[in-house]
Amino acid sequence: MPWAGPLALVTIWEIAARLGLIPPHLLPAPTTVLGTAIGLAVEGTLLTDLLVSLSRAAIGFFIGGSVGFALGTAVGFSRLAEAVLDRSIQMLRSIPFVASLPLVIVWFGVAEAEKIFVVSLAVMFPIYINTTLGIRQVDPKLLELGRVSGLDTAETIRRIVLPGALPSILTGIRYALAVAWLALVVAETVGASSGIGFLALDAREFLRTDVIIVTIVIYAVIGVLADGIARWLERRLLAWHPNYAGGRRK
Amino acid sequence: MTVQTAVLPKLAVNVVGLSKAFGERVVLKNLRMRIARGEFVALLGESGCGKTTLLRALAGLEPVDGGHIEAPRLPAIVFQEPRLLPWEPLWRNVSLGLPAPDARDRAVAALTEVGLTGRFDDWPLKLSGGQAHRVALARALVKEPELLLLDEPFAAVDALTRIKMHVLVKTLVARHRPGVLLVTHDVDEAIVLADRILIMSGGVIDRDYLVADYPERRVLRRLLLADLGVLLTDEA
Repeated sequence: MPWAGPLALVTIWEIAARLGLIPPHLLPAPTTVLGTAIGLAVEGTLLTDLLVSLSRAAIGFFIGGSVGFALGTAVGFSRLAEAVLDRSIQMLRSIPFVASLPLVIVWFGVAEAEKIFVVSLAVMFPIYINTTLGIRQVDPKLLELGRVSGLDTAETIRRIVLPGALPSILTGIRYALAVAWLALVVAETVGASSGIGFLALDAREFLRTDVIIVTIVIYAVIGVLADGIARWLERRLLAWHPNYAGGRRK
Repeated sequence: MTVQTAVLPKLAVNVVGLSKAFGERVVLKNLRMRIARGEFVALLGESGCGKTTLLRALAGLEPVDGGHIEAPRLPAIVFQEPRLLPWEPLWRNVSLGLPAPDARDRAVAALTEVGLTGRFDDWPLKLSGGQAHRVALARALVKEPELLLLDEPFAAVDALTRIKMHVLVKTLVARHRPGVLLVTHDVDEAIVLADRILIMSGGVIDRDYLVADYPERRVLRRLLLADLGVLLTDEA
């Protein structure tokens, strides 16, 4: 039922395009777009470009996520680390990552490093903030319980602090996945010689509206898939939590 | 067993000259208290008189200004809230801090003892309030403690559950024989459970009643309430 709306919309779009109500160079029919997509996939460049884009996103996410998590853990646990790091990180965070793009291009050129850097930068902050927040929000009463139960520091972190911070960290991951994708789109459309963004840029030169729409749809689908992965992670890792367990609730 | 200093052979707790102030407010004033092994002691007192501070000092959770505490290094505590780790199944909660390789077996036995058979792998958030308190009790007793500290553990449960918990605690304590310190503001709870009832006031143990000396519960109840500033008429 929730799919009825989008489906109707696509149908209307198809009919309007077929009847010539929309000029094809502005918005080609969905079936044309589908044909183009199949053509591009068979021809070979689409799948390679997709792979290139996905690996950029994954590498950038991994680097940015690791740095964000490490900094977040340090600041979450240590007042000293907070005093030294937090202000600087918050100041950097207030810069929209798009604004840093010209500088990043000067540093790295229009290369792989530039795109991965931009994605890492975008991913780092939501992970950092939510990790810090999650650790700070761990119930002090549970920490006290750990103390009277004789847990050492490592056990306290493993059994109380990290699981307690996990819901917040996962929220950060979910947000970061979306931002990673956004950052990649921006970085790829500024300059690239492969990847989905390059495909779109190239298509613009030749006014291939159908190809541009294919790339937009691919960005959308991958965005939805990324969110699905994040939800799946939440359901698995937060099975104990009634709000996340979903169907497994008794 | 590790102790801060040697515990006298028959004592679970020996407190001498304990002092503690929060700023200007003196909470513990040269306080003395002893709990024998296997003895159930209830500590009554008005709100804010320092009962909980004393209990937390025994657990090593509250630094004191002066004095001497002899108590097991890691006594078992049941807090007012169950304080279960929501992300660990019940048996893992109960075995928290148990080093033994047979931790699961012991946790399962303890959960069975408090009447939660077959729910060993459930998540804590699935439990009712009373069940969660029973898990907290199982977690305290699984360590076979020499000293069990109960910090108003039944204050937040409903009246019926509280009566059931009293029966359960009485049974379990009779079986495991730890020394017990129960901090409560409920006079009837103290009479039902304890061997000895202490009244705390002005930072010291003010009165000391052996429950066995009062075959008439009503008489003891009246005395205790009078100590706490509640004067009963004959009907009450």
